[in-house]
Amino acid sequence: MSKSKETSTIKTAVLPAKSGTKKAILDFLKNAMDKKNFDAVIIPMRVPAGDSFVYVLIKDVSLLKDAFPLSPVMSVQGARVVSSVTRLGKGDMKIAAVMRPCEIRATIELAKFGQVDLENVTLISMDCPGVMPISDFLSDPEKGMKLFDDAVTSWDDSIMRPVCKICDKSSMIAGDIHIGTLGAKKDTFFMIPKTQKGNDTLEKSDIKIDADLDEWHNKVTTLSEEKKKKRNSANKDLKVKTGGIDNLIDTFSQCINCHNCMKVCPICFCRLCYFDSENVKHSAENYLQIAENKGSIRFLPDTILFQTGRMMHMSVSCVSCGSCEDACPASIPVGQIFSMIADETQKAFDYVSGRDINEPTPLVAYKKDELHEMEDAHD
Amino acid sequence: MTKALKINKNAEQGIKEFLRFLLESGKVKGVFSLKKINKEGAVAYSLITDPKDLEDSVPFYPVMPVTAGSLLSRFTLKGSPDKPVVAVMRPCELRGFVELVKREQGSFENVFTISMTCGGVYPLDMAVDKKIEKNLPKYWDAVKKSEIPADVRTACKGCTEFKPYTADMTVDLVGNKDIDKQCIILLNTKNGESLADGMDAEFLEKKLDTKKLDVLLDKRAVEKKKLFDEIDKKMNGMDGLIDIFGRCIGCHGCMRVCPICYCKLCEFESPDSEYKPSNYNSELKKRGGVRVPPGTMYFQLGRLTHISISCVGCGACDDVCPVDIPVSTIFKKVGESVQKIFNYIPGKDVKESIPLVTFEKEEFIEFEE
Repeated sequence: MSKSKETSTIKTAVLPAKSGTKKAILDFLKNAMDKKNFDAVIIPMRVPAGDSFVYVLIKDVSLLKDAFPLSPVMSVQGARVVSSVTRLGKGDMKIAAVMRPCEIRATIELAKFGQVDLENVTLISMDCPGVMPISDFLSDPEKGMKLFDDAVTSWDDSIMRPVCKICDKSSMIAGDIHIGTLGAKKDTFFMIPKTQKGNDTLEKSDIKIDADLDEWHNKVTTLSEEKKKKRNSANKDLKVKTGGIDNLIDTFSQCINCHNCMKVCPICFCRLCYFDSENVKHSAENYLQIAENKGSIRFLPDTILFQTGRMMHMSVSCVSCGSCEDACPASIPVGQIFSMIADETQKAFDYVSGRDINEPTPLVAYKKDELHEMEDAHD
Repeated sequence: MTKALKINKNAEQGIKEFLRFLLESGKVKGVFSLKKINKEGAVAYSLITDPKDLEDSVPFYPVMPVTAGSLLSRFTLKGSPDKPVVAVMRPCELRGFVELVKREQGSFENVFTISMTCGGVYPLDMAVDKKIEKNLPKYWDAVKKSEIPADVRTACKGCTEFKPYTADMTVDLVGNKDIDKQCIILLNTKNGESLADGMDAEFLEKKLDTKKLDVLLDKRAVEKKKLFDEIDKKMNGMDGLIDIFGRCIGCHGCMRVCPICYCKLCEFESPDSEYKPSNYNSELKKRGGVRVPPGTMYFQLGRLTHISISCVGCGACDDVCPVDIPVSTIFKKVGESVQKIFNYIPGKDVKESIPLVTFEKEEFIEFEE
């Protein structure tokens, strides 16, 4: 992927969307596939029963008409999808992946960890109004479709995942092309190339990239500022509720150790988690000894160790997608907590997860001055 | 007739007093029981060594945050306790542990069990929503009357194995009108008898009132048939299965909480099940489009093949499923049909081997022919 450009200097394409943005995006993809710019597309589709949406790798262009670029739910985080397709080899297909910004950012994090090969993949993101909690959608899919459609028009986030309501990166361009609907004139939308690959893709589709981005940019900045305010106040409350070890224990008191949060997390890619490994398993006598020290222990023990441990391991790359919260059978606000902590850890390293593929992950890269810091500490 | 212990307190207070006696007398080193772990009343399994901590224990609380079978496996897998430990667990949890012991994933060495005739448990989300506490009077009322308490887990509604097979001790709950006044603990084994020995309580000869158990059994059997018939209609061929499992998000929570699924690395999470680019290419050639990650149905049907012989129908999989797939009904229904072929009841007897790891002579002949 080529070096990214500053947003302010980026030009955009303006495309017509007389029959709606969804149709226009699908037409663009179909056209690009017909021209062999892409061999396949990764995009959400509704399942036969209609009660959810899943990612499908589509090669047969006729299947595209049933695709849903902006699905109401995120049943699987898109980064896991791109990883599944490319982890064992980039393959010989050129693939376009149409996903939410947080999914693209997680994909980029996974690429940094060697779990994704982006050489043949073009990442296409879009302005994201959020996704609904999957259980809300499931309880009445038809109503869910309607609510979501309305929310896409009104940009009202009240039905979305809690982390979506306070997401200030819902229009962040991290992939190759971004589809902008905010600030677009009636019956049009923006296609914003971010990388050389994105630029080439649009040019190959004979799309002119000559318009100004100001309208979109202003709208996005305003929205992002609003969300940031909401985010700060939500996090303040959450900190009070969950801060300190007692509150933390209470927050996770209903955790049943299923580790669903970890399984669906796009960043937690380890095949064997440390917290499922032999290192955390002990003999009965050991467990009894630990119990005797306190009078009793919760069994399984180590609930908080797992939660804070996982946090330490992935927080710097957390993209605040909220998949963990969707998957938690005990309705623990795990996504909100992880998202809040991620803000702090990423700030400490001046890092934004998935912002830029060329930015190394802080914990695997050393900077010269960090070495000095270390030396000083030992003086 | 079996020897039994009668404690003149309500069932929960009675069993707690017995557990206190066991800890204080040093007959056991630890107690496994459900316990309230915070002020908000969250309930989790705990390993209790100090009699004082029994105060917050709620051995019969109708919720199963994790199956005790899985917990005892974790507790004993790396070495059994030197001295006895006693666990209070539901019949299906005990059956799950028996199946794990058969698979060498745990041991009964120095592990004694107290079970009960079981009225069922509420789904986890009721615990999360703090709705159990106020339902308790209704729950116990139903148990006394040999009825199915409203809103218990689907798996419990249709469970016909609510009487433990192998517990050292069984607390008489279902159909017992006197559980507010007395706690009857049947001492089924020598271990049970020796643990109770010395307890300051009335010893008597007693057996469970089968008539009262049968009343519940009939109600549960009707419920089970209804559940099985319903799911049968839905499981209509591959299309039906796709309709049921289409919304699966691939978290594999069902597998992780299943007391039978003990594998450290599931086949369906192993490199063997991952798609290489060539796999994707050949799938795309066949169908033009492929769901990613692949293998949703393969996982469900595969897990069904692997564990149905030992499925104890506990319903932990239902509790954990974030998209409310009726996993346990399907697994129990298929499980029973497989178990019937082998005339096998999972968890009934720790000495009975698992059909799929033993060969009988006549099976060889069948094979030859």
